[in-house]
Amino acid sequence: MNEFEKEKSTMEEFESELREAFARRPAPPSLKRRLQERGLLDNGRRERNRPARPENHWITWQKLAACLALTAVLAGGVEWHIAEQRRKEEAAREQVLTALRITSHALNQMNARLAARRHNGED
Amino acid sequence: MAHGSKTDFENLPGFEQLVDAHQSMVFSLALRMTGDRGLAEEIAQDVFMELDRNLNKLENADHACFWLRRVTMSRSADALRRRKVRGLDLWVEMEDVHAAPASTPAEDRTAPLTARLEQLLATLPEPQRAALILRYQEDLTPDEIAATLQAPVATVKSHLQRGLKLLRAKAESHLKEFVRGS
Repeated sequence: MNEFEKEKSTMEEFESELREAFARRPAPPSLKRRLQERGLLDNGRRERNRPARPENHWITWQKLAACLALTAVLAGGVEWHIAEQRRKEEAAREQVLTALRITSHALNQMNARLAARRHNGED
Repeated sequence: MAHGSKTDFENLPGFEQLVDAHQSMVFSLALRMTGDRGLAEEIAQDVFMELDRNLNKLENADHACFWLRRVTMSRSADALRRRKVRGLDLWVEMEDVHAAPASTPAEDRTAPLTARLEQLLATLPEPQRAALILRYQEDLTPDEIAATLQAPVATVKSHLQRGLKLLRAKAESHLKEFVRGS
């Protein structure tokens, strides 16, 4: 065995000794007693205080997507309603203008007839 | 990383189960870092109280174990720092040491070898001691130690190498079991 191998073997032995020497030590019973005194080991309390199960990320994303879709549908509905209202207003305005044009035309005709009759009478 | 990244909440044991499973680990880490049983017990108590407050942030059993190691090492380092700052305590400790019967690991032949190795470990610089404890008590890899101590892997490897070398040198000069060639 050369010097390097001897050194390596010695170091491995030393490491093995360390693993043995640094094994975990049992905690003193007083530690658990102190935690008990502070009410931290009351099982009922632990269960009551057990944190709520965190939501799955997938479910969270699904909820978010559903919210966005609903918002989009509602916004579309409102937009459609406003456009429909404007279209109806435009149609009503057109109808009024047509009625006014017809009335104006009829009045013009009547005026023309009256003017013609007046002119014939004077002759 | 020593803990899984996937949330496995159903597999997170309750607080009491975590205390039962890890009290020995937490106490041993604190004890070897501080070399003081009373202080180690106080640190362990603080760590478990903090666990109680942070239980809802932990994902699974592995994460809880990683978290406990990290917080224990951090609290132990804080306690050592506080002890260094308190000059009065230092003098009291020094008086205690000088008042006690002189006993070095080499002279105290009745103590088991493991206890004498622990005494030598306590004389190492804190970062080297932390790395060696996590390596040989917890059997962690350098990567896992780096994650626990929140230090670069290269630094951890250096601490491990130097710490091991120094501890071996001290063992050779203080313990007859390690005298080269014996």
